[in-house]
Amino acid sequence: MRCSKALKLISPSTDGELTEGDKRELQDHLKGCEKCRAEMEEMQGLRQLFVNTEKFEAPYGFHARVLTNVKTSKPDWRSGISIPVRLAEALTVLALIAVGVMSGTLLVKSLMPENAGHEMASLHLDVFDSTPPGTLGGAYLAMTEVGNEK
Amino acid sequence: MFEDLVLKHQDKIYNLCRHMLDNAHDAEDAAQDTFIKAYQNLDNFKPNASFYTWLYRIGVNTCLDYKKRPFWESLLRRSDDEEEYNLDPASSEPSPEKIYESKQLGLVLRKGLSRLSAKLRAVIVLKEIEGLSYEEIAEVLNVSTGTVKSRLSRAREKLKSQLKKFREQN
Repeated sequence: MRCSKALKLISPSTDGELTEGDKRELQDHLKGCEKCRAEMEEMQGLRQLFVNTEKFEAPYGFHARVLTNVKTSKPDWRSGISIPVRLAEALTVLALIAVGVMSGTLLVKSLMPENAGHEMASLHLDVFDSTPPGTLGGAYLAMTEVGNEK
Repeated sequence: MFEDLVLKHQDKIYNLCRHMLDNAHDAEDAAQDTFIKAYQNLDNFKPNASFYTWLYRIGVNTCLDYKKRPFWESLLRRSDDEEEYNLDPASSEPSPEKIYESKQLGLVLRKGLSRLSAKLRAVIVLKEIEGLSYEEIAEVLNVSTGTVKSRLSRAREKLKSQLKKFREQN
């Protein structure tokens, strides 16, 4: 048996979960392999630590609190709902949100004056220009643009 | 009748939750939730199945849900491990070196458990703390015995390496 297989068998061997054949093979391997023997000892040491692990008991009054909570608790009504129904619920919510957004957009459009769009178009974009035509930079740009056209 | 079931299984379920979660408050809440869910779903229990593996399954799933909760909810609760981990070696109560080391190893083990993923932690708690067989763990977690075996090996390897580190540092 190779060490790689022996190492895989060490954990289940400490649980007594090996077949008779594997158990025998592992024992034979451990006799001649110091490294795997050390691994086995470490594993047994770890398992021994769990034996000494603290066992917790339910706190005082636990069962009385459970019974009180059981009486006041309501059954989880959603647990009985199937996945298709839940999907349909989610789609309905999404559809309602979409309808809300669309109707809101239409409402805003209907409340805006009809010529609002024209007024916006008539605004001169020069106000956003970093070098308006009246400035020295603007004049320079105008000259260079004319030159480029040629 | 349900009261009898609670009395019979409360210590085991609380112990499971206490080792699956990092603080006593969450453990008690999770154990309470486990019994409430069991009560609400008694109709789904199949009489041919074992009641305690069914209860364990609810308990493990409840603990996994608790572990998925947003981090700020955990911040509100104190982790018991933090305080215990800061044991003063020169404690006022003198105790033999071996007892002290054994206590420290126990704390390292708990710390190691808290660092395992929820799936690995569940399998090791069910095996080492609750003493379930591979078949029973497979039934509780709804996985194959092969998966139980491999998860158990991985969990033990991780814990072993943590213990090794601790021993090297001390």
